[in-house]
Amino acid sequence: MATAVNSTGVLPDTTPALEPILHYVSASLSYVYHSFLSIPGSSIVIRYVRSSYQNDPFRTVLEVILLLFALRTIFQSRTRADRSTKNYVQLSESEIDELVDDWIPEPLVTPLTPAEQAQLNALPIISGAAGPKPKLASTGKTVLNLASYNFAGLANNEHIKEQAVGALRKYGVGSCGPPGFYGTIDVHMQLEQDLANFLGTESAIIYSQAFSTASSVIPAFCKRGDIIVADRGVSFAIQKGIQISRSIVRWYDHNDLDSLEEVLIGVEKEMKKKRAPLTRRFIVTEGIFENDGQMVDLPKLIELKEKFKYRLLLDESISFGSVGRTGRGLTELYNVPATHIDMLLGSMATGLNAAGGFCAGSRVVTEHQRINGTSFVYSASMPALLAVGASEAIGVLRDNPGCLRELVENVRVVRGVLDRLECIEVPSHPASPLIHIYVRSGPSQGSTLEVPTLAARKGGKSKTTSLEPAEPVTFDIETEERLLQDVVDEALAQGVLISRVKRLRGQEASEPRPSIKLAVSAGLTRKEVEKAAGIIRAALLKVLGRRR
Amino acid sequence: MALPLSSSGSGGLFKLSKKSSQRTLTPSSAAEYLASLKAADDDALAREQARSHSPTPARDVVHASAVNYAPSIASTPALSFASTAPSSLSSPTTYAATLEEDDDPLVYPDNPPTSNDPPPSALHSEFGYCNNEEYRYTSSYRDGTSLFPQHQDPPMTILLATYISYLFLIAIGHMRDFFGKRFWPGYYKHLMSAAGYAALNSDFDSFYTRRLKLRIEDCFARPVTGVPGRTILMYNRVSPDFNVSFKLTGQLTRALNVSSYNYLGFAQATGGVADAAEESIRRYGLSALGPRLEAGTQDLHTAAEALVARFLGVEDAAVISMGFATNSTTLPALVSRGCLVLSDEYNHASIRTGVRLSGASVRLFKHNDMASLEQILRESISQGQPRTHRPWKKILVVVEGLYSMEGTFVDLPALMTLKKRYKFYLYVDEAHSIGAIGPHGRGVCDYFGIDPTEVDILMGTFTKSFGAAGGYIAGKKVLIDKLRTINHAFAYAEAVSPPVLTQLTAAMASIMGVAPPLLTPVGAINTQSTALIPYSHPGPAPAAILPSWMHLPPALLSGVEGNTRLRRLAFNSRYLSQGLRKLGFIIYGHRDSPIVPLLIYNPGKMPVFSRLMLAANTYPGAVPFVVVIVAYPATPLITSRVRFCMSASHTKADVDRLLRACDRVGDLLDLKHGCPKHERWTVDEVIDRAVELVHMD
Ligand SMILES: Cc1ncc(COP(=O)(O)O)c(C=O)c1O
Repeated sequence: MATAVNSTGVLPDTTPALEPILHYVSASLSYVYHSFLSIPGSSIVIRYVRSSYQNDPFRTVLEVILLLFALRTIFQSRTRADRSTKNYVQLSESEIDELVDDWIPEPLVTPLTPAEQAQLNALPIISGAAGPKPKLASTGKTVLNLASYNFAGLANNEHIKEQAVGALRKYGVGSCGPPGFYGTIDVHMQLEQDLANFLGTESAIIYSQAFSTASSVIPAFCKRGDIIVADRGVSFAIQKGIQISRSIVRWYDHNDLDSLEEVLIGVEKEMKKKRAPLTRRFIVTEGIFENDGQMVDLPKLIELKEKFKYRLLLDESISFGSVGRTGRGLTELYNVPATHIDMLLGSMATGLNAAGGFCAGSRVVTEHQRINGTSFVYSASMPALLAVGASEAIGVLRDNPGCLRELVENVRVVRGVLDRLECIEVPSHPASPLIHIYVRSGPSQGSTLEVPTLAARKGGKSKTTSLEPAEPVTFDIETEERLLQDVVDEALAQGVLISRVKRLRGQEASEPRPSIKLAVSAGLTRKEVEKAAGIIRAALLKVLGRRR
Repeated sequence: MALPLSSSGSGGLFKLSKKSSQRTLTPSSAAEYLASLKAADDDALAREQARSHSPTPARDVVHASAVNYAPSIASTPALSFASTAPSSLSSPTTYAATLEEDDDPLVYPDNPPTSNDPPPSALHSEFGYCNNEEYRYTSSYRDGTSLFPQHQDPPMTILLATYISYLFLIAIGHMRDFFGKRFWPGYYKHLMSAAGYAALNSDFDSFYTRRLKLRIEDCFARPVTGVPGRTILMYNRVSPDFNVSFKLTGQLTRALNVSSYNYLGFAQATGGVADAAEESIRRYGLSALGPRLEAGTQDLHTAAEALVARFLGVEDAAVISMGFATNSTTLPALVSRGCLVLSDEYNHASIRTGVRLSGASVRLFKHNDMASLEQILRESISQGQPRTHRPWKKILVVVEGLYSMEGTFVDLPALMTLKKRYKFYLYVDEAHSIGAIGPHGRGVCDYFGIDPTEVDILMGTFTKSFGAAGGYIAGKKVLIDKLRTINHAFAYAEAVSPPVLTQLTAAMASIMGVAPPLLTPVGAINTQSTALIPYSHPGPAPAAILPSWMHLPPALLSGVEGNTRLRRLAFNSRYLSQGLRKLGFIIYGHRDSPIVPLLIYNPGKMPVFSRLMLAANTYPGAVPFVVVIVAYPATPLITSRVRFCMSASHTKADVDRLLRACDRVGDLLDLKHGCPKHERWTVDEVIDRAVELVHMD
């Protein structure tokens, strides 16, 4: 095959001095070519190479390179030391010994800072079942819980627990193998089917941890050279997925679809100018943002995605199981068929109070991940009893729309209290059961009912290649975190468990603003929610009020 | 040129698109979408109703036989089966299938207990009954045994045939694509750019999957049901379209399971550990409802972490809900730009993901080759960072305790020597070795007799020996506390689920034994095996760590059963590894490794091996086996292999069966290229001299 390529290859222009040599080369090549032709069947090979050359010249080149590369890898060890670079300094053995003796590594980790130590010490430990009214190990007191994800109130559902016990008695706990090697249990297939039916997609694939889902799905599809257009406010898991993918990334202003459109137009122009070949293009964003509870305008997003021919990867980790009539998420809320979303991600740990995450989409999309999703392929499948728990939770949601109606009521109660407070800002969408609370900076301005964006655009344009918004909101992390922690402590003393959002300062792509996170639950009655909201309000007023 | 493979079928060969078994949902309007959702809901509801009226047949059959076999057991409370068959076992699955096994040799022990013996503590199909104290061995490193047996090379002819096979497969694959694209363009639609969208997966990228892997797809991702214990129930399936899609036939096959990572046999639906897990579901539900750093920390988490630390003999430990994520979220918290990671070339994908996320520079060293590592260390330390020559901030060497594809143990003694000289930090991933090896099951440190506190970071998973899920990271308290605040999983990932925590806590406690023993074991335990080796090593589990509601049966509390499991696993591993070598196969890895890779080389032989083992017709009285075959890219191109995972749940008779089956298949497929003919033993000789073989070096 390589011979045939040479014989049809184009010789470059050369200087006359080389002519005799070239003459010889071309003569011998033509000899090789003709003797090759005399081999029976050679014409088919040539035709194959020619036509594949025509429809994709790079391919033939690539195949040859691949062959050479394969040979190289066979003959050359991956692990050989690299001495070829110009930068290499030749050293004698004794010099090396000396350098080795002199080298002092930094400590493996820096000791805990006082703030980190305080944070660990303040961590609530729940004794017994987690749920709407858990008992704290430290005080033995029962508290109202607005910190745990239990949106639809499925935690400790007796029916689900019974079914999980049944599964335990049939399957044991662990699956003891990755899905490819006898770790595909019938309940996993059932859960995938249940998810697909619930969302109305062709199929679904499950991962054994929600956090690892996005960071596995994104690099499974987005390769080097592909284009990702992503929201500046995406969650940590998505940031990591984008980081591994090594694709070209363009950022648009947080939850601002006009900015998205500008970026899409910009990318289109850029690609036209570069005459770049068609590559895979993705819009990556979240349904309800984990980082601040804002909600994306799905119909508009889909309109844009279809106009510009992008694939949409929508992470519904928060919105699945919490919004819509039966908890199907944003697609249900906006009445948009889930089939318009190419990759719909969700969390069964958050939405179904079980464990793991999923990606729903077409069969092509899910089958691809069964081979290319790293944390799917290289990790043991989910324990069967948790898969059964998730399946049963879907059944409960589907058959009892009432629980989400209660959730909507409870969210309204909490927002009713928070939105009247001057000392805080609430960036979250009014319908979001995940409510973030910022400390209001400076004198109060405008109504809190208006949903402020992370990067309030005031004319300035942000650079699409950078995560920095044009006019970043400035805040003092340390002070705000301290104030919020005081609020959390105060609320806990009054019997309400809430949590400050724990960030990985220094590891985030851009530092999110400190916030308190309320996860409203249908597991609490309206009365209890009113009481809890009142206590939170009092705590906020007490701590933030005394600031001024 | 002829198309040799097209004889096997007509257009079917070119089929690529997965045929959807259900109606495809491509609604054009929201109303249609809602209608289809409603239809799906109604379906589900109907299914549920049908389900609650008819219990699963499969379960009934299995249990009927179990109860028949051990009617007397019900009277011994600690070993009671009473809880194993809840009356309303309405299985959540609609994958109803039948299993006929009235006389299945896998369900009954070959040497059933006599009236003098203690009754078996588990279902034979989950955990085999094997009471012969001869079939035990203690896994520990013996000075002088060569750690790394030289890999034998196969004859040149085999290598050549392997390369030619791949070339042939690739050539045919391209030819099929060439014609396929012209005559069956529909099947290539999703691989081509269409309507302004680039293909999600181009024909080029997916070539290997479509044209090589697809041919042997029936050997992968076989659906199963029940416990992945000593035996496993596999759904029989057929493919109407050359492995593009599969249909379940509605029949189950019970096969001997030599594939699951169930090293200590704790994958059980019955017994003390499962009872504890059931109790915890009732007490705690299924979820901790959030990340650890918010409100997802329960008393169970702190208890499990204390126990893991105690088990390993280090100061502190942290548990994370997925083994993969334990690596991929911890490594970026430890190293960053300006740091160097030296990673074994065969390290797991999770380590590679973690290193890539960290932004640190990375260099690979040859698998388990300490000379290569030392050379790279000398070079890296002396040269410093590329271009600037600034000294590296930290150097982290990442290795696995037991390599999952190779069956080799890390050369820990040599590594510790290097560590002293070169001052690097050491990260040992003990996913496969923890619980499985060492005289006390504490992993490679225990095996080599090295103080675990000398290793900076110990990582491991619970998915293997403990029959649970998730992973841990352990070391000094300052390190673990810091990791709790900077590890991604602690801030953002769901915490480990309570029943999973209970499973791992109970399994770990029963390996350690619980001190002080809360109950004096009487009668129920074989007195012979109570002669426990008194060890002080990391010691038994203090009863105070365990949740107060957890009541383990005496055999688990005393550590007798855990110890027996360890010694059974060590015996089985060594027996299989040595036996296969004596039969003439090329076997990689160390003799004490429960992972036993048998080299196949030729890609064409892989599926045949797998199918023959499953077909159970290799010799009269053969039983079906499910085996794992691995090839490129999980292994180097030519060294395709079968990987057996031994378990404490296997009996000697099970290993005998496996050896017999391999012996036959090995002859059929010409796989015996290990030791010369005159040194080989016959399979009968291997089986008869098993104990001698195990104690041989
Ligand atoms: C060395 C190693 N590390 C980590 C893992 C991942 O563990 P888990 O399956 O629990 O995600 C595996 C699993 O195969 C492994 O072999």
